[in-house]
Amino acid sequence: MNLRKTIDSTTIGDRILLIFLLLVSFISIIFIREVLPKTRDVIVEVEGKIRYKYPIDTNRLVKIEGPYGHLSVEIKDKRVRVIDASCPNKLCERQGWITRGIIICLPNRITVIVGSPDGAEDRAVDAITG
Amino acid sequence: MQSQDKYRIALLSAYALALHGLESLIPMPIPWLRIGLANIITLTTFILFGFRAAMTVTLIRVCLASIFTGSFLGPGFILSLCGGVSSILAMGLVLNILPGLFGPVGLSIIGALFHNISQLFLAYLLFIQKIEPVLLITPILILMGTITGSVNGLVADILIRGLKNSDDKIQNNSV
Amino acid sequence: MTQRSKVRSPDPRVLFSIPFFLLLTVYFLLLPSCTQKEKVYRKSRILMDTLVTVNVVSDSADKAERAIDIVFDEIAKLDSMLNFFSDKSELSIINKNAGLSEVRVSQETIEVIEKAIYASEKTDGAFDATIGPEISLWDFPNKIKPDDKTIRERLSLVNYKLIHINKERSTVYLEKRGMLLDLGGIAKGYAADRAVAVLKRIGIKSGLVSVAGDIKAFGLKPDGRAWVVGIRNPRAIGNDDDIIATIELRDAAISTAGDYERYFIVDSKRYHHILDPKTGYPADECQSVTVIAKDGVYTDSFSTGVFVLGPERGMAALKEMGFEGLIVDSSGSIKTTQGLKDRIEFKKDHR
Repeated sequence: MNLRKTIDSTTIGDRILLIFLLLVSFISIIFIREVLPKTRDVIVEVEGKIRYKYPIDTNRLVKIEGPYGHLSVEIKDKRVRVIDASCPNKLCERQGWITRGIIICLPNRITVIVGSPDGAEDRAVDAITG
Repeated sequence: MQSQDKYRIALLSAYALALHGLESLIPMPIPWLRIGLANIITLTTFILFGFRAAMTVTLIRVCLASIFTGSFLGPGFILSLCGGVSSILAMGLVLNILPGLFGPVGLSIIGALFHNISQLFLAYLLFIQKIEPVLLITPILILMGTITGSVNGLVADILIRGLKNSDDKIQNNSV
Repeated sequence: MTQRSKVRSPDPRVLFSIPFFLLLTVYFLLLPSCTQKEKVYRKSRILMDTLVTVNVVSDSADKAERAIDIVFDEIAKLDSMLNFFSDKSELSIINKNAGLSEVRVSQETIEVIEKAIYASEKTDGAFDATIGPEISLWDFPNKIKPDDKTIRERLSLVNYKLIHINKERSTVYLEKRGMLLDLGGIAKGYAADRAVAVLKRIGIKSGLVSVAGDIKAFGLKPDGRAWVVGIRNPRAIGNDDDIIATIELRDAAISTAGDYERYFIVDSKRYHHILDPKTGYPADECQSVTVIAKDGVYTDSFSTGVFVLGPERGMAALKEMGFEGLIVDSSGSIKTTQGLKDRIEFKKDHR
């Protein structure tokens, strides 16, 4: 019934296995997030402040109130679009479904951003001119 | 199987079941996290009485526990059964192929590892079907399993020594 | 029991190595959290009536966030001076006092107007910030084309030579009553310049600022590559990400003027917002013009100027200035300056 003696009597195999598994699991806990493909989020900002954040793989329809009007954001089948906007031009609605990037409604001061939460996403281009 | 073996298996199964029940009373910070106290008995059985006895004890323990809690043949039962069986299979294989490399602690860690991996795999196949969350919790489960596995292994080792000593004494006395 | 004791070797070296391994583990655990690697942080906000996006390379999210917010503040400040539609902006006060009196304005406003006049001179008046009286006649959302007579009448109010700057007194004066200075064709590029200057001043090593399509980049991304900018397909259908080419931007600015930004089509004729200051009607020789130069004030104004000049004269103007550029003419065919040919990468469906 001696714990010390029992610990001493563990084999080399025991110890190596223990340390190996601890190492592997520790390291994978840290790095697994980096390796996994990031799920994209739909971020709705009103006047530059984040108002809502939803995962893109859950279907939903949300009505957003801006300072000058409203619009609805529809998330469906990992795509996002703006419908039912109160602005006169409805440029945001005309943009249709997007899977990444940004939809802005200038009159209502609402931006709908599809991207990874930290904004750092691998893209072919960093910006588009025109 | 000798009647003495039957008696032992029944006793060990009862111990395992008791520990299983005791564990369910201990509140854990994460619901799916388990210490696996019953594995102390499984491991002890495995080392003292061999693969078949350990398998029998595990099957009895898993079945009875699920019948008592009313989850017999339910998803929890399937996971539990699969984990228990594969952990003993892994321990048996390792001891057969590499005899003497691992002591009770190493075997316990291996058992815990395969217990977790098989359960994760099954959970992925049957219930979750999304690889990301499974991969995210895998290293956490392996880490916890390694820690609890080694502690259980130490306890089992102490238990085995105690049992052997008393066994020797009994045998010495009887001779 | 006997089996195990055979292998159980109390080798002191092995025993000694265990705490060492544990220390190593802890070390590797702490390493990534201490030396944070550099990342691109991106934030967008609606400013200057458009979308402003700031990308910043930094080793900390906090630092990046603070830098980006300072840039937003700077651009908001510029907007309060240069906004055509706001009653309180310095620009509006200049316009209200056209033909009446000179107006004292900030150093920034003087600088933008100076650069606008410079661009007008270099494009032979093809870019002209005094286009205000004409552009305000057009109502693009409601597809209303002004009548020819009004357009002709107002042409006399469009002339950059009638802007008078007094640098000593820091004043601007528009000579004729009714003149309207519209800096929409240069202010966004200037804002991108100022944004990059601010980022550099607060110690950011690399970044990219886009004020709508006016983009300025400096430094390299964390992976050691240059910032990559896509040039929008002027006849994209629906998809905003439809680009004709990509180009690497190294410490330079890029702007595009296109006939697809604000327009309407009546009787299969496209009426868009890039007006020829000489005629008052939309310039129709190009679909889009992209200009690359050191600073956004130049790329923004020259893209408009070259668009109005048309492919031939536009190319000549770019060459004279030493700028790089890409012109999509009205038939959809693409011309680039010589220096751009090996820096640009066309998408497969184009060219």
